[in-house]
Amino acid sequence: MRKAMQEKLSELIVSNPMTSLFLIDIGVWAFRDLLRDYPDRVKNIGIFEPGTISVAAGLSMSGITPTVYGISPFIVQRSLEQLKLDFIYQKTGGNFITTGASYDFSTLGYSHYCPEDIMTLKTLPGFEILTPATPDQFTSLFKFCAENGRPSYFRMTDHCNKTEVDVEFGKAKLIKRGCKGTVAVWAEMLDTVIKACSDIDVNILYYTTAAPFDYAAINETVKNNKLILCHPFYEGTFSDDIQKAFERSVEICEIGVPREVLRSYGTKSDKDVSLGFTIDAVREKIQNFVNAK
Amino acid sequence: MNETNIMKSLRKEILRISSIGHDGNLQSCFSSVEILWSLYNGGMNYNAANRKNPKHDRFVLSKGQSNLALMTVLANCGYIKKKELNTFCKPDSRISMQADRTKFDDLIECSAGSLGHGLPIAVGMAMAAKIKGSGEHIYVLAGDGEMNEGTMWEAMILACSENLDNLTLIIDDNSSISNMIKNGLNLPQKIESFGFAVENVNGHDIEEIKNALHKRNDKPTAIIAKTVRGYGCKTLMEDNSWFHRSPTEDELPQLYKEVDEF
Repeated sequence: MRKAMQEKLSELIVSNPMTSLFLIDIGVWAFRDLLRDYPDRVKNIGIFEPGTISVAAGLSMSGITPTVYGISPFIVQRSLEQLKLDFIYQKTGGNFITTGASYDFSTLGYSHYCPEDIMTLKTLPGFEILTPATPDQFTSLFKFCAENGRPSYFRMTDHCNKTEVDVEFGKAKLIKRGCKGTVAVWAEMLDTVIKACSDIDVNILYYTTAAPFDYAAINETVKNNKLILCHPFYEGTFSDDIQKAFERSVEICEIGVPREVLRSYGTKSDKDVSLGFTIDAVREKIQNFVNAK
Repeated sequence: MNETNIMKSLRKEILRISSIGHDGNLQSCFSSVEILWSLYNGGMNYNAANRKNPKHDRFVLSKGQSNLALMTVLANCGYIKKKELNTFCKPDSRISMQADRTKFDDLIECSAGSLGHGLPIAVGMAMAAKIKGSGEHIYVLAGDGEMNEGTMWEAMILACSENLDNLTLIIDDNSSISNMIKNGLNLPQKIESFGFAVENVNGHDIEEIKNALHKRNDKPTAIIAKTVRGYGCKTLMEDNSWFHRSPTEDELPQLYKEVDEF
């Protein structure tokens, strides 16, 4: 996905002189040609995210579309007030592309984990939140959002799905039809859910836009009032959306990251095991839920 | 009306509007009256009727608590209607304690409120002007207390790294920091050490302010405007409870008198 991001972002910078790119001291090698060829618009700013986000807003308020590339917690949480006041309040646009999804940086510890990014950004009205999980999905969503004049967050994962799905901004996609319930799934959890549900009679509804939320898709898909949410974000990330989506009562099972301080290291797979995100563990939870009376 | 009387008139108008809206940061407003008036009266290249002119200078109010002073100056210049000031702090007003730029169609460049945002935004604007080759000069007014915010220094690092000679930071140095911590002292030396050209002026002397605003250096410029909180009204200068309060109707005549006699 990083390669797709590099290609699409490079195309944007080359084709549109009213765009700029700030690196938070990552991707410097990958973008070395752009840094050399467009020194006035492409810069390795260094490590001061809040100030950089405000500077990017100043560019945006002057007609230049900024893109900032950094690490999830330092863009989303360290700079939250800047995203809120300098983009949402000023009503101006920009792109924020991050690496370090959830616990992708599995050996770096709690400081570099960010399963709360989606929940945090959802507090900012009008912020577009994209969770592509293949390079093509990144490309589709970036093409749609990069120059739309609104603030857009692109959560990149290092653990892409093998399942390719054509995605559209703001729309969830029905991957599989079933009768016993509906699994709404986000980001890199899709492959796991497809395998886990290979012999379970459920709908699988795949989201790549976390905000604005596709209420209609989930409302229309959930027929028997059994809904499973499966995502690599903090539990409760979509509570408000689900409440708004349904005027009727729905039984919910959530498979997400517990709201705890994650102090373990190891690989991403190690964490998947400990959090119950393996195919077997997910299958068991879904099966038990849909079969319960 | 000469400038001295214009300043008195602005201060009395700020008192009146504050009383109507039942709110105000009057000490901060009074310390920045001469600076704001100078900017919009020859200090910068500005014509509200032709704001889209790419060579137009831009102003960012970073110390948002001076918004009532800014609005009063803009009304005095004819950029907003004077009677609109009477809506100060009303539910549907455009004019309140802090500015919301979305209500002003470019007259206000930047919404304000939380300190530490205006300077980095202005740095972005100055960088954009360089990219576009537009010739705009960006002015930003901050408070000395606001200089405690880390983002101000982050922005200064970048401004000097980018050699933004089209950026002027004005600091309304009304000694707020002296109520806080000792580290804020020696602002001119600290800012100079970051790479700014520093001009020290009397922030209540319009001629000095304008001369500094017109100066161009081959690097970013910082004007340290030494001011007095509540300047121009004895009660406001002596009583710090006026940092955040508004006068009652009964208090207005005495405060007007003090402004006239100052």
